[in-house]
Amino acid sequence: MRTFAFARADSVARAVEHRQAEPGSAFVAGGTTLLDLVKLDVMQPSRVIDINALPLTTVERLPDDRLRIGALVTNTDLAYHPDVLADHPLLSQAILAGASTQVRNMATTGGNLMQRTRCPYFRDAAAACNKREPGSGCDARHGVNRMHAVLGGSRECVAVHPSDMCVALAAIGATLTLHGPHGEREIDFAHFHRLPGTTPHLEHDLDDELIVAVTLAPPLMPLGTAYVKLRDRASFEFALASAGAMLSLDEDLIGEARLALGGVATKPWRCREAEALLAGKRADTAAFAAAADVALADAQPLAHNAFKIPLARQAIVRALREAARRAGEDAT
Amino acid sequence: MSDITEPHVVGRRTPRVDGVDKLTGRADYTVDHRLEGMLYGYPVPASIAHGTLESLTLDAARAMPGVVDILHHGHFPDLHRSPNSIRQGDAVSEVRLPFEDDRIHYHGQYIALVVAETFAQARAAAFRVEARYHQEAGVMTGLAASDDEGEEVRHYTRGEPELAFGIAPVILDETYTMAAESHLPLEPHATLAEWREANQRLVVHESTQGVFYQRNALARIFDLPPERVEVISHYIGSGFGNKLFMWPHAVATVAAARMLGRPVKTVLPRQQDMMTTGHRPASRQRIRLGAELDGTLASIQHDSLTETSSVDRYVDACGGATPSAYACDSVATRQRILSVHHGTPCPMRAPGEASGVFALESAIDELAVALDMDPLALRLKNYAHRDPQRGLQWSSKHLDRCLESAAERFGWASRDPAIGSMGDGDEIIGQGMASATWFAGRQPCAAEVTLRADGSVVAACGTQDIGTGTYTIVAQTVAELTGVPVERVEVRLGETRLPAGPLSGGSMTTASALPAVAAATREALAALKEVATGPGGHFAGLAPAALDVEAGTLQADGRQADFAEILARHRLSGVTGEGSAAPGDERREFSFRSFGAHFVEVRWDPGISRLRVARVVSSIDIGRAINPVAARNQVEGAIVMGIGMGLLEGLDYDPRDARLINANASDYRIPVHADMPEIDVELLDYPDYRFNEFGARGIGEIGLTGIAAAIANAVHHATGKRVRDLPITLETLL
Amino acid sequence: MQETTAHPPEAAVTVRLTLNGDPITIEVSPSAILLDVLREQLGLTGTKKGCDHGQCGACTVHVDGRAMNACLRLAVMCEGQAVTTIEGLAEAGHLHPIQQAFLDHDAFQCGYCSPGQIMSAVALLEDHRIAGDVATVREAMSGNLCRCGAYQNILAAIQDVRLRRHAQEGGGDA
Repeated sequence: MRTFAFARADSVARAVEHRQAEPGSAFVAGGTTLLDLVKLDVMQPSRVIDINALPLTTVERLPDDRLRIGALVTNTDLAYHPDVLADHPLLSQAILAGASTQVRNMATTGGNLMQRTRCPYFRDAAAACNKREPGSGCDARHGVNRMHAVLGGSRECVAVHPSDMCVALAAIGATLTLHGPHGEREIDFAHFHRLPGTTPHLEHDLDDELIVAVTLAPPLMPLGTAYVKLRDRASFEFALASAGAMLSLDEDLIGEARLALGGVATKPWRCREAEALLAGKRADTAAFAAAADVALADAQPLAHNAFKIPLARQAIVRALREAARRAGEDAT
Repeated sequence: MSDITEPHVVGRRTPRVDGVDKLTGRADYTVDHRLEGMLYGYPVPASIAHGTLESLTLDAARAMPGVVDILHHGHFPDLHRSPNSIRQGDAVSEVRLPFEDDRIHYHGQYIALVVAETFAQARAAAFRVEARYHQEAGVMTGLAASDDEGEEVRHYTRGEPELAFGIAPVILDETYTMAAESHLPLEPHATLAEWREANQRLVVHESTQGVFYQRNALARIFDLPPERVEVISHYIGSGFGNKLFMWPHAVATVAAARMLGRPVKTVLPRQQDMMTTGHRPASRQRIRLGAELDGTLASIQHDSLTETSSVDRYVDACGGATPSAYACDSVATRQRILSVHHGTPCPMRAPGEASGVFALESAIDELAVALDMDPLALRLKNYAHRDPQRGLQWSSKHLDRCLESAAERFGWASRDPAIGSMGDGDEIIGQGMASATWFAGRQPCAAEVTLRADGSVVAACGTQDIGTGTYTIVAQTVAELTGVPVERVEVRLGETRLPAGPLSGGSMTTASALPAVAAATREALAALKEVATGPGGHFAGLAPAALDVEAGTLQADGRQADFAEILARHRLSGVTGEGSAAPGDERREFSFRSFGAHFVEVRWDPGISRLRVARVVSSIDIGRAINPVAARNQVEGAIVMGIGMGLLEGLDYDPRDARLINANASDYRIPVHADMPEIDVELLDYPDYRFNEFGARGIGEIGLTGIAAAIANAVHHATGKRVRDLPITLETLL
Repeated sequence: MQETTAHPPEAAVTVRLTLNGDPITIEVSPSAILLDVLREQLGLTGTKKGCDHGQCGACTVHVDGRAMNACLRLAVMCEGQAVTTIEGLAEAGHLHPIQQAFLDHDAFQCGYCSPGQIMSAVALLEDHRIAGDVATVREAMSGNLCRCGAYQNILAAIQDVRLRRHAQEGGGDA
C-alpha cells in the first residue's frame, strides 16, 4: 500500500477541480474497491478525493416518472428503496445478490459502476496484466482462468466485469450523468463500459469526470423479473454466471424482453439479439433455450472456463422462466 | 469416583468461562498486544516459486517514513536450526531459517522483513522493496499435474492383500484426489517479541497451539536455556493445525527485536499467511477393495501420495485409519510423498485421515453400489468388533449405535436407493452416509491448582484453548472436585511459566489435561485437609482421610468449614497442589479410537447446476463430553468445514510456475452462513473410563472425517456421477 | 458548508467523530485505515483484522448505525460520523442482548470473529428492511466468516433475540 494525499470536496465542481489538477488522483466514495486495490498496490493514487460530503444521496422520481439515483446512494439504500422495489425489482435483486451486507452498506451507485475486475492476475502486482500495466501481457489467458470471460474478451484481456448491479442496469437501461471540467453531459449506460480490445486499461469513457447520477429507463409493464446468480458458495461470492431477465407478457406471449449477463463477460453484457428473438414468442422453454443459444453464440472458452457457456445458458433459461412466471402472476 | 461431589459439573452444559471476554472484545489475542516502543514488522514475499534471489534494492524502502531497518539474507544474524524433534518438544513447521540463503523454494517465501515505527509505515515500505530473481526451470507445480509417484515413506501390511484382491469375486480399483486446503484461521499468525535483561531473556507472544514447543525451538535457534524464553498465547483465533509448530515469521521477528533492541510485532497479512504457514497438502489416493458377493471385505489396499515442499518432508498419512476401519484379514497401506515448489504443508484438522477417510468411505459406497447393497448394511457387515490392526479389544466402541441412531433420525430407511429418484420441484435430493473415526491419544501434562484465601480457585496449565473450550472444561473439572462454582475458578492457560501442558492438537487436550488438573486439585485438597486437621485446625485431631469435600467446604462428623475459613484461620493465602498425568499401560490392553456416522442430504438443481448440502445428521461416540455444548459445537463446526472440503475449498497454483493465485479469503472459498445446512448432532454418552477417569476422548477432529465422503456419496445418489476429486465444483456435475 | 480541504500524504488530518458515544478529535494520516486507527492508535483492539480486504467481516463496526468493514474505510472519511465498536456495545457492565445470546447459545469457538459477528447481528436486528426468516438472516450474515463454523449457534442466538424482542414489542404469540 502506498500512502497518498487527501482532499475533501464540498461541491461537485470542486471535486472535479481536484481531479483535473492531479492526474494521479482518485475519487473515494464507499472505498470498497479503491482501498482494496490500494492495499494490493494495484492502484496507486497520489491523492484521494473524498466525495462523500456531496449532495448525491437521494433517489428522486423525475416528472417523466423515471428514477434518478444520486451517485452516492449506497447499494443497500438503493436495493431497499420503495420506488426501486416498485419499478425495478431486478435492480434490487441483483444488488442484494452481490457482495456482503457490510460492503453493500458502504458501496455506492457510482462506485459500483467503477468496480474493477477480480481477475487474480490483475490483483497480483507481480503478475503480467495489460489492464494493470499496459503492454505487460496477460497471465490469465493461459493461466488459471476458471473465473474468466467467455464473451467480450480479447487477446490482451479476458477479465470479467464483476458487478451484479450493472447487469441489472444493462437490462433495465440507464443514462449516466457525468460532471466534468466542461460541465455536465449524459451518456448511455450501454456505452459507458468499454470492451478491452487492445486497451484493457481503458475501462470506461470518463474524462476527469465524476459520475453524479444514474437515471433508469422507464419500467416495462406488466413486468416479471428474475436475477439468477450461479456460484460455488451460497453467498458472498462473485458470479460464475448470472442472468438478469425482464419480461412483459401479453397473454402468454412475450411482449418485450430484456436480458443481460454477468460473470461471463468483460463488461455488463446486454443480449439484444436474444431479446429481439423473444419478442412475440410464446414464453416457453423452447423460446428461452433459443434465446440462450443466440446470447452465447459468440462465446469463446478458455482452458478452464468452457463450463461457463452451458452454465450461462442455464442461468438464462432459469431467469427467463422465473421472469415469465412472475409476469404471469402479476398479470393475473 | 467417591470424591466427585454432586451435582455434577463435568458433563453438564456449561457456558464458556472465557465467553464474556471474547464477546466484549476484551480477550487478548496475540495481535492485540502492544508494548511501549514497539516496532512493526512486515515481511516481503518472493514473487517466484523456484530460483535464486539475485538482488534486493532497498534504497526506496529505507527512505520511507518510519522505517527502522530491513532484514534480509545479507543482513541477518547467524542462528541455529531447531533439531525439529517432536519427542524433545522442539518441532518446528519449517526447519529452514528465514533468509538463510538466497534460494527461493516457494511463492511467498520471505525475502525481507521491513521494520518500521507503525504498521502502515512498514507495509508502505515493504511495497517499495525491489527484488530481482533468477527463475529456474523445472518447477514442480503439484501432483495433479504430474505422474511422478514420489518416494515411499511408510507402509503397513497384514494378510495377503494382493492375493486376496486377485481372487475376490467383486473388486474395486479407483483413484481419489483432493486439492490442497488452507486452514485460514481468522486470526492470522502473529508474533510479538521482546528481549529483556541485555538480550538474555526473551518474551514472545505468539498465536500458537503449543507454547512449549515454540519456547524450546526458540531456545535452540537463539541458543538460550529454555527457561530464559517465555511464550504466551492466552487466546488463539483458531489454528486447525497450522499453529502447532513455529513458522519462519516468528524467527525473523525475534531476531529483529534483538537486533534493534525494541519489541517487534509482526502480524502476517492474510495473503502471506496463506502462502507461508502451511496447508493440508494435495493428495492422490488409490483404493483397491476386494469383496465376497455377500459384501465381506477380503482385501483393502490404500496407496496414498501427498505433497511436501522442497524444504521439508511433511507426511500427511492418509492411510492411518484404514487398517482398523473394517474387519478384513488382508490390508495394506502405503504412503508416498512428492516434493513440490509450494510452501511447506502441515497438519490440518484430522490430518491425513480426513483425506484418507474421504477416499476409503467413498470406495466403500462404490462397493455397496456394485454389490447392490445398502451402504449402511455393508458397513455393519464388516464391523470391526476388535481392533484388527493391533489385535486388541476396543476400549469403548459404539460405531454401530452411531450408525443406527443417525440413520433413524435422518430417515435413512425411507431413502429410495435408485439414482435421482427423490425429487422436489426443480431439485433432486441425494442422500449419502459415511463413517467417521479419529484416534484417541494422550500426552503428558502437568498442572497446578491453588485454593485461595478468598474461596476462589486458580488452575494453571501450560496448554492452550484454541476455541475448543479448554478454559471451561478445566474450570468444570476443578468445580467438580472442589464443589466451588465454575465462576469462582480462574483458569490460566497459554504460558510457558505455567506447568508444562500439551499441544492443542490431535484432539488430545481434554484427555491429557483433565487428569493432570484433577490430580493437582486433589493434591490441593489434600494440603487443605492437612491444614484443617493439624494443630488449631477446624478438624484438629481427625485423619485427613476422614474429611469430605462438598460445595467448597470440608466436612466431617456433621461439621463443616469452607475453604476460605480454613485458610483464614491459619493465615494462609492459599494452598497449592501440583499434579501430572501421562498415558500409562492401557495401550497394551486396549485400542482407543473415537467413532461416528454422518448422514448427508444434498439438493441438486440440475437446471442451474446448483448443489447445496441441505441436511446433516451425525452421531458421534467420543466417550463422555465434558461440556456437551462446546463438544457439539466442535462437531457442527467440523461439518461446516467438511462442506468446504467437499464442495468449495482448494488452493489454486498456477501450473506454469507454482505461484499461488487465490491466497485470500474470497477466492479461496470457505463456507459462509448461507452454506450452512440444517445440522443435527448427537453425542452418544458412553464414558471411556479405560482411557481416563473422566471417560473423555477428544472431539476436535473426528467430525471432519467422513463428511466429504458422505457428501460425495449423496451427490452420486442425486446425480449418478461418482465424483472422486475434491472439491466437487459445479462444472463436474454440469 | 465546510471548506474544501487538501492534505499532503504525511500531513496529519484532524478528524472529529463520535466514537462509542463520545465525541473525539483525532489526528490521522490521510491514508490511515479506520481499522488500524481503532486498533493501533486508539487501542480499541476488540475490532479484529482477519483479511484486511473486506472478505471476512472480522472488522465490522457500525458507522452511523450501519455495519461496515473498518478495513475498507479511511479514518478521514469518518469526519462527523458516529462509529461504534464492540467496546461500545455493552452498557453499564451489562452485556448487550446479542452478546448474552451468543454466550447462552455457545455461538462462537475461538472468538476471533465474534465481535464482527455481533456487530453485524445487532445492525441486522435494527434494520427492519431485512426480513427475519432464517434464509434471509443467513444471507445477510454471510459477510462474516467463522472458520470454526459456529454458524448454527450464531443463527440461533440472533433468532432468539429477535423472538424476545418481538414478544416485548407486543408480538403476543411469538
